[in-house]
Amino acid sequence: MSQNKFHRRMLLKGFLGGALVSIGLPALEIFLNDSGSAYADEGPGDSGFPQRFGLFFWGNGMLPDRWTPEKEGSDWELSEQLAPLANVKEYITVVTGTGLGVPNTTPHAAGAGGILSGAPLLDPYSNDSFSIQSIDQVIAEKTKENTFFPSLEFGAKPGGGLSYNGPNSRNPPESSPLAFFNHVFGGTFQLPGAEPIVDPTLALRRSVLDAVMGDISWLKTKVGQADQIRLEQHFEGVRGLEKRLARLEEDPPNLAACEFPTQPLEAYPDIEGRPQLQEKNQIMSEIAAMAFACDRTRVFSNFFTSPVNNNLFTDAVAGHHQLTHDEPGDQPQVHAINLQCMEALARQIEALAAIEEGEGTLLDNCVLFGTSEHGLAQTHSFEEMPIVLAGSCGGKLKTNMHYRSAASENSSKVLLTICRAMGLDQSSFGAEGGKVTDGLGAIEA
Amino acid sequence: MSKRRQRKLQTGVLAACVLVLTGACATSTEPTSTGPGLPEPVEVDSPEPSLTRLTQAQYGHAIVDLLGPDIAVPTSLEPDVALNHLIAIGSSSTTISPRGAEKYEEAARSVARQVVENEALRQSLTLCESMREWPACYEKFAVDFGRRVWRRPISTEEADILVGLATQAQEALGESEGAEVVEDDYYRGIEMILSALFQSPHFLYRVELGEPLPDDPTHRRVTGYEMATRLSFFLWNSVPDAALLDAAEAGSLGTSEQRAVHVQRMMDDPKLRRSVRNFFWEWWQLFELDQLTKDPTIYKHYSSDLGDMAAEETLQLVEHVVLDRDVDMVELLTTRTTFVNRRLAAIYNIPAVVEDGFGMTELPADGLRRGFLGHVSFLAQNAHPVSTSATLRGLFVRELLLCESIPPPLSEVNTALPEPTPDAKTMRERLTVHMEDPACAGCHALTDLVGLTLENFDGIGRFRWTENGVTIDASGELDGATYNDALGLQEALGENPKFARCAVNMLYSYALGRPMGVGDTDQYLQLTERFEANGRRFKQLMVDVALSTGFERVGEVSP
Repeated sequence: MSQNKFHRRMLLKGFLGGALVSIGLPALEIFLNDSGSAYADEGPGDSGFPQRFGLFFWGNGMLPDRWTPEKEGSDWELSEQLAPLANVKEYITVVTGTGLGVPNTTPHAAGAGGILSGAPLLDPYSNDSFSIQSIDQVIAEKTKENTFFPSLEFGAKPGGGLSYNGPNSRNPPESSPLAFFNHVFGGTFQLPGAEPIVDPTLALRRSVLDAVMGDISWLKTKVGQADQIRLEQHFEGVRGLEKRLARLEEDPPNLAACEFPTQPLEAYPDIEGRPQLQEKNQIMSEIAAMAFACDRTRVFSNFFTSPVNNNLFTDAVAGHHQLTHDEPGDQPQVHAINLQCMEALARQIEALAAIEEGEGTLLDNCVLFGTSEHGLAQTHSFEEMPIVLAGSCGGKLKTNMHYRSAASENSSKVLLTICRAMGLDQSSFGAEGGKVTDGLGAIEA
Repeated sequence: MSKRRQRKLQTGVLAACVLVLTGACATSTEPTSTGPGLPEPVEVDSPEPSLTRLTQAQYGHAIVDLLGPDIAVPTSLEPDVALNHLIAIGSSSTTISPRGAEKYEEAARSVARQVVENEALRQSLTLCESMREWPACYEKFAVDFGRRVWRRPISTEEADILVGLATQAQEALGESEGAEVVEDDYYRGIEMILSALFQSPHFLYRVELGEPLPDDPTHRRVTGYEMATRLSFFLWNSVPDAALLDAAEAGSLGTSEQRAVHVQRMMDDPKLRRSVRNFFWEWWQLFELDQLTKDPTIYKHYSSDLGDMAAEETLQLVEHVVLDRDVDMVELLTTRTTFVNRRLAAIYNIPAVVEDGFGMTELPADGLRRGFLGHVSFLAQNAHPVSTSATLRGLFVRELLLCESIPPPLSEVNTALPEPTPDAKTMRERLTVHMEDPACAGCHALTDLVGLTLENFDGIGRFRWTENGVTIDASGELDGATYNDALGLQEALGENPKFARCAVNMLYSYALGRPMGVGDTDQYLQLTERFEANGRRFKQLMVDVALSTGFERVGEVSP
């Protein structure tokens, strides 16, 4: 673990009393290629740096009456529930008033599928599986060719995760901070400037993977259609691994901001039956941000908590899901939990903003999409979906504004806008009732 | 909540069919003095097969059964996913993720490395008499051991590829020079073969392609090797042993008479125990217990390891009733016998019978606690972190024990419950909201009226007479049977024919890795009738399923 990361962090975060100020340190020239960045491909972002997508998901919605900011446009102020985002207000756009176009067949599960894939569930009454890719994987399709990992999934209490490659094909998230650290930065990770790994067993492992791919391909010719799709997914996974092993023999990307993140603790045991959600989220958010800075991946999903989760939050008198249904009145307990979710979102945004990149920060070249599976969870509502975007995605998106959809537009419009900002050539997003062909022009720069 | 709620539709539909068909159906296999006899063939229309990924438990058992107990079994694998309540069904629908592929590669390399580093083990597996004969030894190993791992013969092409990998490794990593050869180099090659075998889809999936029936090409059955694998995963939760594979090779698993011999042998093997435990672990959702969370400020008996202990109590009772005593499985719901450690004994307020581990004990005759519905595993899991949930408990009884299908709540309905007030102190009084609102009443009458009878057990399973100072009214009704307390519910459940039928439904679905379909109706009726005629003895049901027509059939692959 290098010592100098502390210097830079302190410079960025410590000296200014917690207020988030980024200082554009000039990137060391030695790390940069002719065009000023060390990336093999030229990202379409205005900054010359690649664009990245992050998802931040929390379960069980929010309270729309206390969530929606009063003023619209760029002259806006944070609402009661958004208050924890004060330090990052200038980097975010809040979209309110949109709703899901998919049928509300199964509480929570259908909402998760609706907001993340824009489509009804695979079998709306008996299977939680999405019917099509979730947005992170739609984007990873494009970005994965350039990075070590196609995408990363993690979370403080993520459940089974909501990142889908396709029907019945989920990317299970990592919930142990140390396991996440080891996955991304352990073992074979090389800092910029290090020599490529020379290891004759790498070639042998690739030969085995070739044989495995051969087995999968043979099997594919024997089985039915559904199994062929499953085997294709499996094949893709093995092929990706083989490519990763090949990359180990190349120079690691030379990126100025790339360094080891802080190593997490072995375990984060529950305290008084309460999971250490904030602590876990903080450290995993930093690892994920550094994964972007080191170009380990360009897509991550932070599943902070899951739909229907009944976690005991700090100071809460009951599980989150139970409270959303049982707490009467204006639900002060639920509100307090929503604030804790927004604090976690703030930490993820800050982790991205704390890393300098070119003239600005990493966050400038990201779009972070914060959302949940319901608006008001008490009624399992698909109206008033919570949407927070952070980062301008290389100048493609507006920041520091509140857009309110007066006509209750389809939430999928935001997802289409995100995809286009990420440089995807998408004519539509979603399927059936969740499908849209227009983005949300008002938030596009 | 929604996770529990959504999966029952297909079986629910089937249950409705059965009500209509029961009268018309008459299967006629009379029990004999030596046992119930083989099930007669019935009409079955099976769906096309799907690849079934080994569950985490099966992966572990397979490694141990193939390589012995010295190998540290890798545990970081693709997570199990339950579908229609069962991991067995989830495994035949879900895929291997990119992360999973990476984990399986790591696991295979770890296993392979351990084998070649274990002097005794590597020699027992792969002795090669002359160093000059390496390629031949590699081939023999690939063909012999590969057949065990892939549960079928290894083709010449497959063997060639494996030998090629071994030779490549031996050459790339070996230290032998010229004619001088080093034994370790040989094992570099063996390590490669093992690594390739254990991450191949032929190991990770159970592959069923099937073949036409010899006397009726319009129907298909699994091949001999596939039958060996079906039997061993069903009855041992692991790979077949050499004897089963030999029987497959000899073509002696084709008829139910032939299979009966092997099934009897397998039923007598200690490995049956882990399979029975695994089935109940899946059926009764005990896999969720490792995440059991309670507020320790409310429930002093809670700690994060309580869930695993609670699951163990239930599994030990299952072994006792189903295997050791081999009696009517309804006793799982009605018996006073249970198995407790000191922690569970404290929750039940009974003396601990042993210092360490679990000991058998009898619950007090004058108490209300009996069987699985009195276990912490059921009572605490189907509750909230800070309170009971009559709805969740009732839902579990309806969906898991009676195989009924309860639709999810309507959207845009206010789900708030009133706080306890001077007028409504108990859960029953608060839940009357569900009964008064017609949008809720239809389903909540089915769940809440069952769950409210268990209100004498708090959110972790401790007994109580009162809630907020008011004596709990535990009266209830289940499908026409009325009762005043938990004993009445346990009895009503035991007498409810849906419980035995549900056991049949779940075991059959588990055995075949798919929900029962309409094409299984005759099979279902026959199995149910025999199960009831045989005194609902679960072991005989396992034998019947293993020897049933449905168990040997498979649909055609539609490319």
